[in-house]
Amino acid sequence: MPRGSAVAAGPPDSQPSTHETTEALVAVPGYGGGPPPPSIPRPPVSNARMGMLMLIGAETMFFAGLIGAYVVFRFGSPVWPSGHLYLPVGITWVNTAFLLFSCYTMWRAIRCIQADQQQPFVRWLAVTALLGSVFLGVQGFEWVRLVHDGLTISAGMYGATFYTLIGCHGLHVLAAVLWLGIVLVQARRGKFSPQHLIGVEICGMYWYYVGAVWVVLFPLVYLN
Amino acid sequence: MMQWLPEDVSPYGGSIDALFYFIYYITAAAFILVTALMIIFLYQYRRNDNRRAVYTHGHSGLELLWTIVPALVFIGLGLASKGIWEEVKLNVPETDVEIRITGKQFNWEVLYPGPDGEFETADDYQVDNDIHVPVGKPVRVFLGSKDVIHSLFMPHLRFKQDTLPGRFIEAWFQADKAGAYEAPCAELCGFGHSGMKGTLYVDTPEDYAAWYNKRWPPAETNGGDSSAAETTEEILASGAAMDDETMSEPEAEPAVTEEEAESPTEGAADSAAQEATE
Amino acid sequence: MSEAGAAAAHDAHAEHHELGFIRTYIFSTDHKMIGRQFLFASILMLIVGGLLAMMIRWELAWPETAVPFTSWISEPFMYPADEDSAVGAVEGLSEYVDPYPGANFAKSLGSVGGAHMDPAFYNSVFTMHATIMIFFVVMPFMVGGFGNYLIPLMIGAGDMAFPVLNMLSFWTAVPATIMIVYSFFVEGGAAAGGWTMYATLSADPTLSGVDTGADLWVISLLILGVSSLMGAINYITTVVNMRAPGMTWFRMPLVIWSLFVTAILLLLALPVLTAALGMLLFDRTMGTSFFMPGGGGEPILWQHLFWFFGHPEVYILVLPAMGVTSDILSTFSRKPIFGYKAMAFSMMALAFLSWIVWGHHMFVSGMNPVLGTAFMLTTMVIAVPSAIKTFNWLGTLWGGNIRFTSPMLFALGFVSNFVIGGLSGIYMASTPVDIFIHDTYFIVAHFHYVVAGIIFGMFAALYYWFPKIFGRMMNETLGKVHFALTYIFFNCAFFPMHFLGVGGHMRRIYNPLQYEFLHDMQWWNVFITMSAFCLGLSQLIFFVNFIWSLIAGKKADKNPWEANTLEWTAPSPPGHGNFETTPTVYRGPYEYSSPLVQEDWLPQDRKLGPEAVTASQ
Repeated sequence: MPRGSAVAAGPPDSQPSTHETTEALVAVPGYGGGPPPPSIPRPPVSNARMGMLMLIGAETMFFAGLIGAYVVFRFGSPVWPSGHLYLPVGITWVNTAFLLFSCYTMWRAIRCIQADQQQPFVRWLAVTALLGSVFLGVQGFEWVRLVHDGLTISAGMYGATFYTLIGCHGLHVLAAVLWLGIVLVQARRGKFSPQHLIGVEICGMYWYYVGAVWVVLFPLVYLN
Repeated sequence: MMQWLPEDVSPYGGSIDALFYFIYYITAAAFILVTALMIIFLYQYRRNDNRRAVYTHGHSGLELLWTIVPALVFIGLGLASKGIWEEVKLNVPETDVEIRITGKQFNWEVLYPGPDGEFETADDYQVDNDIHVPVGKPVRVFLGSKDVIHSLFMPHLRFKQDTLPGRFIEAWFQADKAGAYEAPCAELCGFGHSGMKGTLYVDTPEDYAAWYNKRWPPAETNGGDSSAAETTEEILASGAAMDDETMSEPEAEPAVTEEEAESPTEGAADSAAQEATE
Repeated sequence: MSEAGAAAAHDAHAEHHELGFIRTYIFSTDHKMIGRQFLFASILMLIVGGLLAMMIRWELAWPETAVPFTSWISEPFMYPADEDSAVGAVEGLSEYVDPYPGANFAKSLGSVGGAHMDPAFYNSVFTMHATIMIFFVVMPFMVGGFGNYLIPLMIGAGDMAFPVLNMLSFWTAVPATIMIVYSFFVEGGAAAGGWTMYATLSADPTLSGVDTGADLWVISLLILGVSSLMGAINYITTVVNMRAPGMTWFRMPLVIWSLFVTAILLLLALPVLTAALGMLLFDRTMGTSFFMPGGGGEPILWQHLFWFFGHPEVYILVLPAMGVTSDILSTFSRKPIFGYKAMAFSMMALAFLSWIVWGHHMFVSGMNPVLGTAFMLTTMVIAVPSAIKTFNWLGTLWGGNIRFTSPMLFALGFVSNFVIGGLSGIYMASTPVDIFIHDTYFIVAHFHYVVAGIIFGMFAALYYWFPKIFGRMMNETLGKVHFALTYIFFNCAFFPMHFLGVGGHMRRIYNPLQYEFLHDMQWWNVFITMSAFCLGLSQLIFFVNFIWSLIAGKKADKNPWEANTLEWTAPSPPGHGNFETTPTVYRGPYEYSSPLVQEDWLPQDRKLGPEAVTASQ
């Protein structure tokens, strides 16, 4: 059994057998041969960012499934909201502002670390985490009140879709806050620098995404 | 003509069967073509160390050909199917024969509207698994379910329609030959799914009249009881309030045969008992 | 990031010298070990799923007779056989069963530890057969196993982009697998709603009689969804970012294309299932009624969500087998693949179109008939790329110099089965015909030709890459015998199902003899069952070959098949970090019988002499 050349860049050990076809063929890079192409440049999107983008794509499909179901029920129901219960729109407006402001503070934090300003960086991160926690806290407080008022997950379609959709978002915020907590600890230990900030960046991407989902959910669920 | 499908006794079954055989000829031709080419190539181009394989990366013309030809065939098939589909589904003929068939674990509950032609009135008649229709007349059927998704399948009529809890689906069929045909459930509906079947009795005009007159004697007013039939609301609601009653033993045979159900009061007692448990 | 990737590979290389047994064989981050873990896990589950199939077939051929070797299964599922005869649990059944061929054989075999199957348990058995085969055999084998093993090796990378995520992907699949098997042993048994788990049967435990088992089914698939998500992220990132220098998109082997497209489908389709499963779980446990009409829910929504995931899922299953087949056909025909770009683009077309055809599963569900027409037309369109692929495979064979090795035979078997499965799909794409054949054995025949046909792709891949993965050759003679028997019995088992379906035989029924219009066809059921048993027994040859070759097979060379792709330039099996130096790629993967060289293969990374370079200038 003849051996192929095992390792790249070995000495050329073959002779073109039929010269007339060779010229035509090697002109087609990718088929016959041709000069080696320039090595693939450093990818425009790093592995970590790429992976985060993929996760965000998957999460989008997940929320699309839930929102699709919500829309089916929302517009298929003769009465909506069912019962006399209305969601706390006012306080949630404020809460929305907290979440959106936290996206701004996240952005400021990343700007700071890019400029290697460690102290403001940690401070902005802390503010972000605090705002996220406040959002969660307010949501939790409102949920307790809603449950007291009789809007439970099993009370009907309205409650079921509300808690599922908003609950899934809440879990995502919780995950983001926990993650940010870890990043915050690392930041206080000075782990990040302008050259090494991917951990903050992808956490930031996720944070923005969670905010963006809320921008879709809030008008859909609360404002109608 | 081949006779693979069960005997067809419906007006539109002929077109469905013709389409089936048409697809069969197309796919058979494609299958023979591909298989024959494959066998020829495998034999013709088997290993021979004195020969080199043809060095080619493809042929745009050929590739275009076998993209366009299948595409045209499929579009043609799609259009042919569209016509027959619309004939079956959208052109619903006018008729005065109406029945309501409600699936429940694991029987078909058949409701006849009686002489007044209205469901949920005093003269309704309800029986499990016995579907009586006159031969050669279109039948409008309202399909519902009390618990899970069932599917009314009448192979000889080329009829199949899922039944959904919470709504009635309107469909129609027509049987052009008298006889008794099986009407199984085709959608998995629980542990008694196998064996859940009704019987479609396609009666000659005389038989149908006899059956009808036995049920609703022409002289008398009616012998029904309002509680014999459940109202739409009850059937729809039962999709939600599933209780032990729906979990009764699977009944391979119709629970209420014709003879037993002759006195409508028995059926009434039955459903009164149901209501008591609810 | 190829430089960085190579550097990482070397770091990993250095690191591995200190790794102990656990880090090397159990919690390994090496893509090759994880691939092997997935392979072994899925082969184990293949045995479980196959045995379940045997129980189904027994029940259909000789309904309600004692199933042999099952008396160890406890009472609510299997009931002890009668003392005097194996047949006769049901009054008068004997006279139905007796005239069919094999009835005496069945009776005598049924008396060996036989027990009668409960109809509810039968539902569990076919539900779990499908679930296990789809989610725990084909997906982990092709996507988890070969996806992991091949992607870095074939694109010239040292490892996956996220090795730890890769390890987590396997170790989240493990509890899911344990949970699905464990669900047989909880009270009420395993899920019994069919693998499609249509609501409302699945949404309320009282309707199916299965409580914990179905909850475990849902949770298991939720966990598996997380595992697949991690895998998909890894595959996509690796393919996009970690290709070796010169490995441009259209120099990637088609198997990598197929795995890449599959990963995208996984990434986007599984979260939809996750959302639907979440709602189903709430319905089952929290008292919501998303799919229960009584509380304002919509049972048909489940079907929409399920099939919106479900149809891409079909391509998740079949695309890798198509990719494997393309590579193997080209290698053993000693010929470039016919229409490489058409093959790659048709896979993308399949992936794209798979999102807009889901309604063809629901023609008789009560969906608007006009929507039915629309879905029929998109479904007709999706048949075109499949046709392109088939004809391109034929074109690859044309003019080749075909070597009939075991992997080649299995790849050819895949093509031939895929042709049948594809053509039978046209019947159900046509809405009027689907009215009749929906939920009959015609459907069962169709999807077994496609999905069970993937087993030919799986065997082709295993025979082909076995030397690379385990460093030893499999026995060719046994491989060919295995192929011949598998091919014959596969077709004997699944082709007659078309006849049953055309006769109106419903799927998922426990006893076909309860229907008079099916009596005349019962002997086909017996024939299918006999063939299925032979198909199952034929796999013993494979297991003997597999285990024997693992231990004592002939040592494999680097490149035993004289193939072009990069994995064959690494040692068999490759060490940590895969390549001594990062390979440079000069050409496409299928340069067989190139006139540039005397041999009939030309590896992707082989640099040709200066005259070849100058000739192009």
